[in-house]
Amino acid sequence: MKRMLQWGLSLYFVMVAGNVFAKENLSVNVGEVRVFPAILMISLLVLFILVGVFSKAKDTEDYWAAGRGVGQLGGGMAIASNWMSAASYLGMAGLIYLKGYSAMAYIVGWTGGYVLLLVLMAGQIRRYGKYTAPDFVGDRYYSTAARLMSALIVILISFVYAVGQYKGIGMMFNWIFGINYEMSVIVGTGVVLAYVLISGMLGATKNMQVQYVVIVITFLLPLFFIASKLGYFSAVPQIGYGATVWDIGHGGNGITAATADPSFYLPFANNTAYHWFALCITLMLGTAGLPHVIGRFYLVPRVSDARWQVVWGLFCIALVYWSAPCFAAFAKFSNIAGVTGVTISPDAIVVNAAELAGLPQWFSGFLAAGGVSAAFSTVGGLLMAGSSAFAHDIYFRVLRPNATEESKMKVARIGTIVLGVAIAVIAMNPPAFIAQITAVAFSMGANTFFPMFLLGIWWSRTTKEAAIVGMIVGMTVTFGSMLAPKTSLFAYYVPFTSSAILGVPLVITTMIIVSLMTKEPSAEIKELLYRVHNDE
Amino acid sequence: MEKDININFFKPVGEFMTRDVKMKKLIIVIWGVATYGFLLLLKLVADPEATVEVTLSTGEVVTQVSGKSFLTETQFLGFPFHYWYSAQFCILLFIFLCWWYCKFIDKLEAEFSSK
Repeated sequence: MKRMLQWGLSLYFVMVAGNVFAKENLSVNVGEVRVFPAILMISLLVLFILVGVFSKAKDTEDYWAAGRGVGQLGGGMAIASNWMSAASYLGMAGLIYLKGYSAMAYIVGWTGGYVLLLVLMAGQIRRYGKYTAPDFVGDRYYSTAARLMSALIVILISFVYAVGQYKGIGMMFNWIFGINYEMSVIVGTGVVLAYVLISGMLGATKNMQVQYVVIVITFLLPLFFIASKLGYFSAVPQIGYGATVWDIGHGGNGITAATADPSFYLPFANNTAYHWFALCITLMLGTAGLPHVIGRFYLVPRVSDARWQVVWGLFCIALVYWSAPCFAAFAKFSNIAGVTGVTISPDAIVVNAAELAGLPQWFSGFLAAGGVSAAFSTVGGLLMAGSSAFAHDIYFRVLRPNATEESKMKVARIGTIVLGVAIAVIAMNPPAFIAQITAVAFSMGANTFFPMFLLGIWWSRTTKEAAIVGMIVGMTVTFGSMLAPKTSLFAYYVPFTSSAILGVPLVITTMIIVSLMTKEPSAEIKELLYRVHNDE
Repeated sequence: MEKDININFFKPVGEFMTRDVKMKKLIIVIWGVATYGFLLLLKLVADPEATVEVTLSTGEVVTQVSGKSFLTETQFLGFPFHYWYSAQFCILLFIFLCWWYCKFIDKLEAEFSSK
């Protein structure tokens, strides 16, 4: 019965997705359908769903924690694709294109956070041995209220993060199929929900590995051709584009000194050093405080694997991060050199770069399909994190401690659907660039989970009251920076993408003060922490 | 004597944790200097003559140094040096730091489990 329901529901979503798509194509010709990209995209989506079907979750343990049977490299690839989203694949290059070196804070910030994550958290979190981030918070801070609040924050972070991804999916579907943006978002929602519902985390983990391979191949391959077409060292375009950056700033290779744009490479030509610092540190602390990344450490059998997984994950991420600025530089170069006839949109600059270089359409199709894969793998992980926060941490732990496996699964699935649809509604009118929306999710993680984990693991005196007050302060700073008028002084020093610059120091100080004012945690909590830190 | 079980990053207890924390501090310092020390350096060595106008989010227009210096005008592998440093070297360094720490902690764990 359960299985039938689950299949029926998934089938329904696929059909809805298919129908909307067909109808839109029959009625008005919104734009041209790009044939090769469309075929590629559809086959990839079918592949993802098939992988999901064949590695289906057997029970709750499987659904949430993938049976803890994921290896080091495999886990690293899953971390990489789970975490690299449309923001890395599409958004980052777009911002570098617009802001040059100022946007390099995204590259450094989104990789450097892993050092903190590994050194300060990965091993200890795995040794603590829980399923989800709110589970840790609930146990460490011996408080149902703290568990509940952190579960809500997980849902909120997943929500904001996913909005950026849906925008990426929408833009790429729009480019590939010629259907309008809103329809694209609906189609994308249908497909994502279908495969998350069928497969759960195990399917999602397998899928993340497949998606990583897709991401890397589609991202790297076109670069060789773009570099060669523009006349740069194309054997290793990641090095060849250095000369492109130089030429953009100084003139050369067809660009005259008069049209050269030095603001592309000069460090402080678009922004201040303070803002570079604020953004970079926010992204780093956010990486170390994102619940769906922290959650991945529970998936490996041994503590050592949890750590090596980070190294592999970072390497897998680096392959893409070394390449993203190439797209920005190549697009900028073609743009200054006077190539016309391509509609440029910063969030689609990766695809535009191939078009600007005059490559055949299927290269751009490759990139568009890869962008969707990147967004899919992340949305899959986010929906899982969000729905498990709801089903496991709120429903099971707080509302119905004696709920059966079956009802937990059902609640998880309902949660996934509600979350998925709600995200789609907001994504219809995306409020900012993809990378910026994603940065907000990172600020939120940095302002709430980072201090909570940091102090929770490294200072046994931290009390439950401190955790609760800390979360409230963290959320206040995050939302305060979003709601503050754009031209105010507050928004200048605490931009909404970089609110951790104020949030993290403030939350940590508050938590320390509150801890010292309240009753010390029990000896059991300290005993457990001692064991987490000393391998005995 | 009762064992001290109060965990504090700056006052490690137990031999394992003491050695672990020492290594962690070293890595965090390298990480911080490489990322933000370099940013500070860029600002410090910037040519005071080369300035640009930047419009701040408050609407105010300020004149600041563009950051032009020997770091940005030296070519390395074709790149302006600072660009290469941020876009490629930093990531490489992060991977190395992670690898280094994993090697270290694996060895430490092996040592303690054989005790």
